Amino acid sequence: MTKRTRRNLAHVPLLAASLLFIAPFLWMLSTSLKHESGIFAKPGEPPQWIPVTERTDDQGRRLITYQARAGVDLGPDESGRHALSIDGKTVVAWPEDFEIQQRIGLHWANYVRAFEMIDFVANLRNTLFICVSVVLASVLSCSLVAYSFSRIPWKGRDAIFIIVLATMMLPYQVTLIPLFAAYSRLGWVGTFKPLILPALFGTPFYIFLIRQFFKGVPEDLSAAARIDGCSEFGIYWRIVMPLSKPVLATTALFVFLFEWGDFLNPLIYLQDERQYTLAIALQQFQSQHENAWGPLMAMSSVITAPIIALFFFTQKTFIQGITLTGLKG
Amino acid sequence: MQRWIRWILAGACGLLVYALIWPRSATSDAEREARKQGRTVIVYWDRHSGHEHEARRALIHEFNTSQDKVYVRALPIGYNSLMEKLLTSIAGSAPPDVCAIDGGIMAQLVAQGCFATLESFMAGCPSLREERFFPHIWKTVAFDGHVWGIPTTTDTYCLLWNKRAFRKAGLDPDRPPRTLAELEEYAARLTIKDESGIRQIGFLPWQPWDLSHMWGLLFGGTWYDESTGLAVCAGDPNLIRMFAWQRSFAIDPTSDTHPPFALDPEKVMSFQQGFGAYMSANNPFYSGKIAMITEGEWQVTFIPKYAPDLDWGVAAIPTPDGASPRAYGPTCIADCIPAGCRHPEAAWAYLEWFNSPRPDGRPSPASDYNYAIHNIPVRTDEARQARFIGDPRFRPFVDVLFERETVSAPVTPVTQFFMDEIERQRERVIYRKTSPEQALREIQNTVNDHLQLGRALAARTTP
Amino acid sequence: MRNGLLFASPFLFGFGAFFLYPLVASVYYSFCHYNVIQPPMWIGLENFRELFTRDAVFWKSLYNTLYYTVFSVPLGLAVSIGLALLLNQKVRGMAAYRTVFFLPTIVPMVASAVLWLWVLNPESGLLNETLRQFLRVDGPGWLADEHWAKPSLILMSLWATGGAMVIFLAGLADVPASLYEVAAIDGAGRWAKFRNITLPMLTPTILFNLVMGLIGAFQYFTQVYVMTGGKGGPVDSTMFYALYLYRNSFHYLRMGYASAMAWMLFLLILAATVAVLVSSRRWVYYHGD
Repeated sequence: MTKRTRRNLAHVPLLAASLLFIAPFLWMLSTSLKHESGIFAKPGEPPQWIPVTERTDDQGRRLITYQARAGVDLGPDESGRHALSIDGKTVVAWPEDFEIQQRIGLHWANYVRAFEMIDFVANLRNTLFICVSVVLASVLSCSLVAYSFSRIPWKGRDAIFIIVLATMMLPYQVTLIPLFAAYSRLGWVGTFKPLILPALFGTPFYIFLIRQFFKGVPEDLSAAARIDGCSEFGIYWRIVMPLSKPVLATTALFVFLFEWGDFLNPLIYLQDERQYTLAIALQQFQSQHENAWGPLMAMSSVITAPIIALFFFTQKTFIQGITLTGLKG
Repeated sequence: MQRWIRWILAGACGLLVYALIWPRSATSDAEREARKQGRTVIVYWDRHSGHEHEARRALIHEFNTSQDKVYVRALPIGYNSLMEKLLTSIAGSAPPDVCAIDGGIMAQLVAQGCFATLESFMAGCPSLREERFFPHIWKTVAFDGHVWGIPTTTDTYCLLWNKRAFRKAGLDPDRPPRTLAELEEYAARLTIKDESGIRQIGFLPWQPWDLSHMWGLLFGGTWYDESTGLAVCAGDPNLIRMFAWQRSFAIDPTSDTHPPFALDPEKVMSFQQGFGAYMSANNPFYSGKIAMITEGEWQVTFIPKYAPDLDWGVAAIPTPDGASPRAYGPTCIADCIPAGCRHPEAAWAYLEWFNSPRPDGRPSPASDYNYAIHNIPVRTDEARQARFIGDPRFRPFVDVLFERETVSAPVTPVTQFFMDEIERQRERVIYRKTSPEQALREIQNTVNDHLQLGRALAARTTP
Repeated sequence: MRNGLLFASPFLFGFGAFFLYPLVASVYYSFCHYNVIQPPMWIGLENFRELFTRDAVFWKSLYNTLYYTVFSVPLGLAVSIGLALLLNQKVRGMAAYRTVFFLPTIVPMVASAVLWLWVLNPESGLLNETLRQFLRVDGPGWLADEHWAKPSLILMSLWATGGAMVIFLAGLADVPASLYEVAAIDGAGRWAKFRNITLPMLTPTILFNLVMGLIGAFQYFTQVYVMTGGKGGPVDSTMFYALYLYRNSFHYLRMGYASAMAWMLFLLILAATVAVLVSSRRWVYYHGD
């Protein structure tokens, strides 16, 4: 087996797994282009992946196939049987006994409807504002705190680190109300502040994540810099941070993803529809008993696309390990 | 030097991006204008999102332009997280001025002192007099000597049947089952199984969702005693019969004999409309997979939309012999004014406008709202309007509320738990984890535990 | 010491200013009747007594959650390491593969939920159709079967491990190529390289994903809420701890009781996490040390 064939063989498991993972995305895309009638599979049938529409003649009548012959549906009678015109003759049949001819048809109107139903530009602006602010604040604060917990030995550090982790262990349901009361007293309710400012204090998940990677940066580098008279902040900013781009990029991506899709916090703290984010705006496609599935999936596709692009173009950053710089080891 | 230029450029780009995504003012032009005119601005939280909220918003816009004292800002919350939003805001003293909530949780919140009382406002408003409302609905908002909310819309259930399925089974398509015995007989004839599985379900009591509370009442049972304020379901023979009847629709794996309409409860789950597919051509009733179903009045609008070819009828739900015929109006949705609201008078001005006929004689906005969202109005005269009973398929839904004794969810501080517990125990009965008798005993014990806990708390906090 | 506190100060300040109060408040509530609106009333250990002695659903939810955690966390780690290894090859189009593998984490829950409900449909779903066609067996009822509902949800969780996968990818990138070169000279096979180089070098990320996986699994909530409507059926088999806690807090307004539940869960997670962290000194290898 040559190296080349082995390399090509690597595609087999990758492609197989891809099918598994791409399915929901394809379903979302295809649903976003379907007419309402074709969105869900009939019970007992697999879902339709390719959006289709009924074929009609120039008078708008449905084209059908009955006992392997093509014809036109003239409509139902009182009993529910349909009159069919086949080769100039009229036959009567139950709907399940003949097939309606279909052709591929993309229902782009879902996208038009989706943009009509919400104030997309305002929602997007609010979402981006929150996302970008929180990403910047989180990367800065989490890396600072993580630096303390990984590269500066101090008394009680490990005990306090357990507290950092512990803040994630209490279900949000029981802290939601006291937290809201605290923000309310500060007059923050109805503003973006409760959604953004807490990011300045660091998020335990990312503190832990960055800590794990900071621990991998060789201690000799810090020691050498310290001998050169570099301050602790200088070591953090000039040595450790540049070497940790992959994990910082990962953090930025995760924070962005989370904020992009967060529903509960914006809903609770925002008090005007003009402040709503995209995740809340998606609710406009859902009513008590009915979902506007076509527009909902259209808007979901629109919202998901930039994230996919973001990941596609930045994924290299996660992979550029510091090993490539040859500094390590 | 070059490095500095790079930093400055990056900073400038960053600022530019930030300027682009900086949110615009949270206040709309209309609201700013209203504030400038000195109007009182109140906030309305809508339990609905989607097209139902659109209908409400249109009416609120009409209100805002019809007068120059009050301006209403509407906020769609949706029902997914309304409780989180409402409870945090009340506990954090930042409540809205008016909030739409389910009647079923009203008593639960009233017990906590969440809402302002409305009877003093109501005195001068003829269209809000008690006798104009359906009695079973008024009971859910007026209790403990006060009025806590103004109902806006309600629902009820009827039996829907597929006429084509009737014809195919040799049944008269225009004669629905009238008694429980007939319902079972029809269910047997309409249930079709073959080697590949279930082809058609005749009838299932827990489709489209659990309705045990309703069935219990239709069977003549008593879940709750209003005079003592306690659950009394344990040992009620009618409720035991009801659970046993529901169980007869699920095959007993340990027995060889079962009624012809009985099905494997796990297999049946695949007919339960999957996530979100309830309103789609995939709804098992629309696609002919279920021949008879108990459904609400909203279907009158939805079936023509999603299943235009379906040939179907509506009738009152059959009840067992001996039980006086009842109708079920599960609950309502009501507008409430939270305690601590800053502008109760302005909030009331909006509620009064919404519930009174227009000055030019047109019906009330509330009635328009019900028409727009395909629900039943809560005032008897509005429910009788031609646009509701003129539709031959909507009419039976309204008629049962007038012709039968209408029963609804009990007004208790633990109604939500009560209903959940009934559903949970029904499932245990269907899966044969418990007997109907034991299930009812457990419902009564747990519900009464919760009720008494709440009372102990109330007794200690009010001196 | 001074520097250490200085660098940690954002967290310390935020914790003191915003998190300490809710934390202490919820401890206090756990000893009270508290229904959110009215002032809490001290009842001592009553909530805990009810939890342990009278509430059968509590025990069931604890069992369900432990079941879920015990299976989903280790399996999730194995799957995400496997996927990360698959994606760490030098093959054309890797950027596209990585994006596709990450899709389940990006696509909104509603879209994937609809698809999973079809896959798991007992009558006509993809899974049971496949079992019937190829193995000639009748598949279980999956989400409709009380014994298979939890495995179904675990299966779903394995499919959306994109987050852990990306972190492992970043960890893999940190393994110095020189180590592999040395091993290649020694004639080590693929398995030996994985066992002796990759796995030890991944231990810091494994520790991270293990702890986060534990914390997440114990509080498992969102997926089950979307997939089963949050009612916990069939017959309580999907009533998870966080779901029951949620129902108590925001549906039944038993915030005191929910706080007691929350603190029991807190202690459980804390114990598990501390055990992992203590043991980690023996199996985690930090290259920088």
